[in-house]
Amino acid sequence: MTEVIEKKKIKKISITIDGKSMMVSEGITILEAARKAGIYIPTLCYLDNLPHYGGCRLCMVEIKNSKGYQTACTTPVCQGMEIITKTADLQILRRDILELILSEHTFTCLICKDKNDCSEYMHSTRKVGVTTGCNFCTRNGDCELQDLVEYLELKDVRFPIAYRGLEPVKDNPFYELDYNLCVLCGRCVRICNEERNSGVLAFVQRGNATLVGTAFLESQKDAGCEYCGACVDVCPTGSIAEKMGSWVGCPDNSTITTCVLCPVGCKMNVNSKGNRIINVGPEPGKRTAPLQLCVRGKFVPGDIVHHPDRINKPLLKKENRWVEIAWDDAIRYIARNLEKYKGSQFGMIGSAQDSIENNYILQKFTRKVMKSNNVDLLFSYPGKNLLKKIHEYYNAFPPIGLNKIESADTIFVIGSQAYSSHPIVENRIRKAYKNGKQVVVAHTHNNRTADFSNLFVNFNPGKEYSFLSMLMAYISVVLKKRLPDSVRELLENSNQRKLERIGGFRMEEIEQFARTLVKSRKINIIVGEWILRSPESENSFNLLINISRLLGGLENNRVLFLLDEGNRYGGTLVGIHPDYFAGFARVHNRVDHNKWAGLWNTKLPHQKGLSANEMIKNISNDGIRALFVMGDMPPHKNLADLEFMVQQNMFLSQTSDYANIVLPLCSFTETEGHIIDVERSLKKFTPVIKPPGLARPAWATMQEIAEGMRQDGFGYKRANMILSEIKSVIDLSFSTAEFESKRLMSVNRTEHRKSNKFPVQVIIEPNHFHYMGNLLSALIPDMKAIREESVLFVSEKLLRDLTARDGEKVRLITTFGKKVFKVKIMSGLNGKAAYIKPTWDDLPLFSDGLSPERCVVNAKIEDVD
Amino acid sequence: MADSLNNLLSKYPQNDEGSLIPVLQQTQGLYGYISKEAIEKISSYLRVSRSTIFGVTSFYSQFRFNPPGRNSIKICLGTACHVQGGDFLLNALQLEIGIEPGQTTEDKRFDLTRVACLGCCALAPVMMVNNDIHSRMSVIKIREVLKKYE
Repeated sequence: MTEVIEKKKIKKISITIDGKSMMVSEGITILEAARKAGIYIPTLCYLDNLPHYGGCRLCMVEIKNSKGYQTACTTPVCQGMEIITKTADLQILRRDILELILSEHTFTCLICKDKNDCSEYMHSTRKVGVTTGCNFCTRNGDCELQDLVEYLELKDVRFPIAYRGLEPVKDNPFYELDYNLCVLCGRCVRICNEERNSGVLAFVQRGNATLVGTAFLESQKDAGCEYCGACVDVCPTGSIAEKMGSWVGCPDNSTITTCVLCPVGCKMNVNSKGNRIINVGPEPGKRTAPLQLCVRGKFVPGDIVHHPDRINKPLLKKENRWVEIAWDDAIRYIARNLEKYKGSQFGMIGSAQDSIENNYILQKFTRKVMKSNNVDLLFSYPGKNLLKKIHEYYNAFPPIGLNKIESADTIFVIGSQAYSSHPIVENRIRKAYKNGKQVVVAHTHNNRTADFSNLFVNFNPGKEYSFLSMLMAYISVVLKKRLPDSVRELLENSNQRKLERIGGFRMEEIEQFARTLVKSRKINIIVGEWILRSPESENSFNLLINISRLLGGLENNRVLFLLDEGNRYGGTLVGIHPDYFAGFARVHNRVDHNKWAGLWNTKLPHQKGLSANEMIKNISNDGIRALFVMGDMPPHKNLADLEFMVQQNMFLSQTSDYANIVLPLCSFTETEGHIIDVERSLKKFTPVIKPPGLARPAWATMQEIAEGMRQDGFGYKRANMILSEIKSVIDLSFSTAEFESKRLMSVNRTEHRKSNKFPVQVIIEPNHFHYMGNLLSALIPDMKAIREESVLFVSEKLLRDLTARDGEKVRLITTFGKKVFKVKIMSGLNGKAAYIKPTWDDLPLFSDGLSPERCVVNAKIEDVD
Repeated sequence: MADSLNNLLSKYPQNDEGSLIPVLQQTQGLYGYISKEAIEKISSYLRVSRSTIFGVTSFYSQFRFNPPGRNSIKICLGTACHVQGGDFLLNALQLEIGIEPGQTTEDKRFDLTRVACLGCCALAPVMMVNNDIHSRMSVIKIREVLKKYE
């Protein structure tokens, strides 16, 4: 291997920049060489990691023996090149360009003889904060035009002012647009199209009427904006300005941490000033290479951390009113009460967005102190052993890194809406498609990922078994292999027409799909929640592994499971699961049981534990009587029957109404911890600011309660002591192991069934837009505006049977109840399918537990009379 | 409408950005303008974002976004016409029929375009209605000229 790399080693050549000679790699541009050598060349349109553009012409340099001036950002270096970056002529040229740019842009904050003394005169005699001085722009102090004016020593603009007087757009979610400040550098247009492939922004019109805009200048939301915020991050001026933290000024601290809202675990930079988060985004002066995030990572942290409804003291319910109490009193109160509910009458629900340290302590507390196995993560998968199977598969065949998704020649995406659940994974899929890789997609309806695919097959909601087994059958046929028993049985027992009707696909489509896969040398399979969130997920898992094995082996083709929520895998791995201790050791295995009892020096419970869903369903006198909820969860009516409930959360929610006491909780920007991401690597998040008031992380709380109940084994001083304990018992570096099955795995024929009484299939989007159970749309108005939750999307065909029209109300009836929804037409849904993004209030309509069993529910839609 | 556009598109390869301009030209040839619906359709066929298509369409003056009127008026603002007061002519005409260049009157009687030169500078200022050149125009003559076109 190393030999090959050395042969391909890029040639080094020698060049001179500003009299400094240096060796650089062949093929890089003058600008890149200069940056590496620490020589500044002014730029405006340049973005790292994107194709060269050469739009602003500010980076022009002089090259010896070359006619005229060349743009440094587009000219590659050659052997012996002599480059001069700063001469009097160049400065005049650049100054002229900047002057032309500024003739359309307000420049009182840029060119003013009192510019430097201005801040001194900004005092106001009023007691309220008033902004005085020529401060037109939220980016004051973090503006690249200011840097350029400084470098080019521009003193005046000679050209007549051509201020455009455009109306700023203030009603856009998350950021405001003031195109009067726009210099048309094109960074936002390029990042939107070339990096994110969102296709929202473009240059429209021509000449001096040119604008950055959308089709027919419609709103960004209507143009399909995903609010990834990449355009905000790259904008060199104040024309795209975040609402959060605007007018606050420059940050005095920038901290790199990890986002926990989804398991991609993106690296993010949090800018803060004092004890306040200003925003998530590049630190000042580093806007040309921002870290890529999604709407949740970019816009959510600041908004929830500094939310006005945040609680910072323990609250005790007294006569239906919340009373603030001291922390120690709260702990004593909880310890005294929990003492009464030891054993299987106690349940603990943790959050999949919490760190492994916190979740380890939650299960340790439940098992060791409360002697109960009722411990689970909120919205745990209906397939109880799914994560263990994935764990074993990953042990043998580690997950592909997100950067390697493109390494296969075909990417097979099934049951995934990564553009909303894992946007950065979607970003990689889109890039692969744009780079000429084959993307084949199978899903319950035509969605945005299908726009970046070469082949799309629709299967009916809940019919993944039909789809996958037919696909497997055709793959076997194409490969001339014997059909697996389960598949042969299916083919023999039903005719083709019937299978097509049930599955919602045509056999030709499946055949084409199979042929495409068979032709590929290497396939990366990306599995989304429409497969994982189902009671038959383990079955689908087996089918997918079988398909991967048939198509060239498990070593060759890799399956990537898009688990939901920041740390679902990590949490379950450290034991927050009714059936498993840390490391997926079985609770009911005698050896494992004794091992953990020995490690914790205690007796451990033997009763079978309940999942979160089962706990809620089992709230009764002889079932669950006391519950501890970390974070928030949907307010289930059964909670009213609890005798004692403790919640630790950042906010008071509808669920808190059922609680006896609520403790304040730290967010992930206020404490430290680790998550295990979708690539299965351990990622650390670090505190950015101090927690408000008495808010604490989960482990600190549980530790104090345990001490209050006179239990030992909880003497942790810092979160990393917990990590050491975890590391001492389970392997977090994931040494490899054999994958159990060498042959095709057996599959049962079970799947979701249609019902005549409820003919409509409502596809339910698992709602991941929450932080530790706190629904984001309920907390952040802008999030509510972009999400369109609680709207029933239907196909045009379905609406034809009703008198209600697009935008009117209809009644949705399921076996669990009925509710009135606004109805909206959505293209891509086939036949009798509808689609909904439920809020917590809608969930009782789809399940009698906490969350629906699968991503589809049979229903009936009727007119509201 | 949808069928003829589908026919037109089927002559071009799918997902090919390079066909955008010829497709747009032919679409305009078909309907006389580029509609929102047409952009949507072209966007999904060629897999070019609607914003990009709008950007290209609005860049070239040959494309229009409104259905043409029964009569189309072109006002020349080339050098000679400009010197002879083409601007006044355009302003007056805008007031008279109540639309701006690129738009069509509500009764679909007229649409209005400004052009750079009609090739008859000696007759400046010039206004062209359909295929008729009206030479040495003045603001006073506008109503009289328009009367001839229904």
